[in-house]
Amino acid sequence: MTVNIVIAGVGGQGLVLTTKLICDAALRANLDVKSNDVIGLSQRGGKVWGSIRIGPEIYSPNVPPKGADFLLALEPLEGLRYRSSLKDTGKVFMNTSIIPPVPVIMEKEEYPENIEGILALDFEIMALDASEEGHKLGSTKVANTFLVGMLAKNMNIDKNIWHDAIKANVPKKFISMNIEAFDIGYDMV
Amino acid sequence: MEHLSSKGDVVMDNKTIMSGNQAVGRGFYEAGGRVASSYPGSPTVGILQSIKDNYKDIYSEFSVNEKVALEVGIGASFAGARVLVSMKHVGMNIAADPLMTFTQTKINGGFVLTTGDDPGMSSSQNEQDNRILGKFAHMAVLDPGNSQESLDYTKLAFDLSEKYIMPTMIRITSRVCHSRSIVELSDRVEKEVSGFPNKPEDFAMIPPNTLKKQFTMADRIDKLTVAANDMDINIYEPSPAMRTDVLVVTSGLMYYNYKELGLDYSVFKLGMVYPLPIKKLHQLAKKYKRIIVIEEMMPFIENELKMHGVHCEGKNFFSITGELNTEDIELGLVNAKILKEHTYPIEKPEETVARLPMFCSGCPHRPVFDILKKAKADVIGDIGCYSLAFLDPLNAVNSIISMGASIGIMKGMSKALKSAEKSKPLACVVGDGTFFHSGMTGMLNMLHQMDESENMTVLILNNGTTAMTGGQATSTTKSYSDAGDVDANIPELLHSMGFDRIKTVDQFDYKNAKKVIDEELKHDGFSIVMTTRPCALNFKIKETPFYVDQNICIGCRSCVKTNCPPILMKEYDGHDKLKSSINKDSCVGCSVCAQVCPVGAIKRIEEEA
Repeated sequence: MTVNIVIAGVGGQGLVLTTKLICDAALRANLDVKSNDVIGLSQRGGKVWGSIRIGPEIYSPNVPPKGADFLLALEPLEGLRYRSSLKDTGKVFMNTSIIPPVPVIMEKEEYPENIEGILALDFEIMALDASEEGHKLGSTKVANTFLVGMLAKNMNIDKNIWHDAIKANVPKKFISMNIEAFDIGYDMV
Repeated sequence: MEHLSSKGDVVMDNKTIMSGNQAVGRGFYEAGGRVASSYPGSPTVGILQSIKDNYKDIYSEFSVNEKVALEVGIGASFAGARVLVSMKHVGMNIAADPLMTFTQTKINGGFVLTTGDDPGMSSSQNEQDNRILGKFAHMAVLDPGNSQESLDYTKLAFDLSEKYIMPTMIRITSRVCHSRSIVELSDRVEKEVSGFPNKPEDFAMIPPNTLKKQFTMADRIDKLTVAANDMDINIYEPSPAMRTDVLVVTSGLMYYNYKELGLDYSVFKLGMVYPLPIKKLHQLAKKYKRIIVIEEMMPFIENELKMHGVHCEGKNFFSITGELNTEDIELGLVNAKILKEHTYPIEKPEETVARLPMFCSGCPHRPVFDILKKAKADVIGDIGCYSLAFLDPLNAVNSIISMGASIGIMKGMSKALKSAEKSKPLACVVGDGTFFHSGMTGMLNMLHQMDESENMTVLILNNGTTAMTGGQATSTTKSYSDAGDVDANIPELLHSMGFDRIKTVDQFDYKNAKKVIDEELKHDGFSIVMTTRPCALNFKIKETPFYVDQNICIGCRSCVKTNCPPILMKEYDGHDKLKSSINKDSCVGCSVCAQVCPVGAIKRIEEEA
């Protein structure tokens, strides 16, 4: 069975590293994997998305329409924007920390209210202020790793493999902080 | 077996995960490559970057522009080394001059040109299909569809280049460049550098030497057309159900996107999209009722087939623009009446608040465009991060064409307006990377028939960085850090060209910068302003963040209008009106907002006590 994952967030949130880490775990689990990184402007606060497909044999790196099993929403508005990529049975793992986009900053539009509630009407959702939780552990940079933990819990890849993938992909001084964040996400039910 | 590569990427049983870009770099390394050159541009910037990061034995450089990169490659090939030159699709336009003549030579060391097409234009100003330029230059064009193919085709391209004595093109697309998949690694094969054979008849390209070469080039394409029939990368997959109604002809990622549909038609997957295996396709065409070509952008394969009398269909059913994802291919097959119905759900994009990119926190472009907007200047834009100034809420540039073009465009506009007695003040903005790439010539050209009564202002936004592509060095980087190795002085350079009104300003000294820029915009004549603050991404600002004193803030939004990520209007207890706020986690302390605040409400956090 192919597992399709979509990651959505804001430029600068570390989407590429998160994608790489998940791909690495798949390779370690002896599965085929293909991913898309951002192909546009990556670092300048625009919307960004990536996708990962994991399974016995993957042809296209693109997740088909409404074909995602899991959506990692690194930011609520981006979670809302990419909800349409989910299957009806899809699950959302969301960082609730808000990054206002330009129309909101310029007071032309309101930031949508209660995104978590809206998504919960249609999908199973696990949400956490991962930026704040990361801050507590020592850096907001580990925020995405909480969501990777939640994802890992829902996938058929051994926890140790994920730990190894983290160790191989994040800077040395952030390894223990990331493992901690991963475990918190993994054990959240 | 698990070990780590030099960059820390995991390698298991000789397998690792690479992007298409990294895989091209790896292929070059394994092929015994010696010299690699490029100019940074999306989607291919990662090729040379990964060579720089991983393979220290290879000489690599980000050249000043693509034309120079290609020329460096030509020299290395002449000397007998295997060479990789990489660039984004539009880079080939400027490199086309040396390429079109180089392709006539005897090349010597294997020469591979990798060009990144951008179907859908996720990071480009146009969508040109470079397969046509490959054909134009009498080159074989290979089209990889995943990372393993990117690696393998790169190696093959060197063999083809040396066997058929021609530069060879790898045409890769944004999606393949940035998609990761598993690749199997091999060892590097060392290739000797044979030295430059002193044979002007093969390398000095003027008549009569070039006369014979026209036939040589035609001949190599003829030979390749024959060889293509037996190439391993051109693969015929007969229908498992023995169907003879449809033969799908496709290449690259389109093959994999098509395969997702799980259909049982026969498929011909082209690894080489120019020249085509015409004989084989002719023979196959006789067996099938319909030939359907699936390709992104222009009908290149389709037209080649038609030109050779193979009846086929393609762009009647598939879009001429954008990416063709699996669902688009299915829809095309429905339109072609090959499939009965579209089975993929229609994914309706969620209609919610848009999120377009904006200048980073502490970006040195912010105060410049705030000043230009307030001055209501007519600003011609150029290629770089500052092109984002055309977006809301800045709306501060009126046109964008190609690298360095703003300078020539401003001159032409000024001359035309003057001829109709409609002169008005004009300005253009150009970054340092863009200035060195293609702006210097436009500057010198300004001096020809210079009319001192025409009000033109060139703003050179020197941030010491090729920022848009991820922070590669430019020819001024060394004046900011040790990362660069060239310390060109732009004002001195312009001065020696013959310009004398050149002002240099620190745009984080907002008041003075505004005074100088306003003066120069008003100056009746030609003037140049260079700003000096470096890129905030590459040269991180780590100053104490600012906060808004809610009791002083009058809610005027002067700070908000600079459009900085941490600044947002919010409600404060005890105040009816919204007041500004600053998110201290994303504020880097550049101080621009504090300087535009008319009442001094924005202060550094340490001043709070």
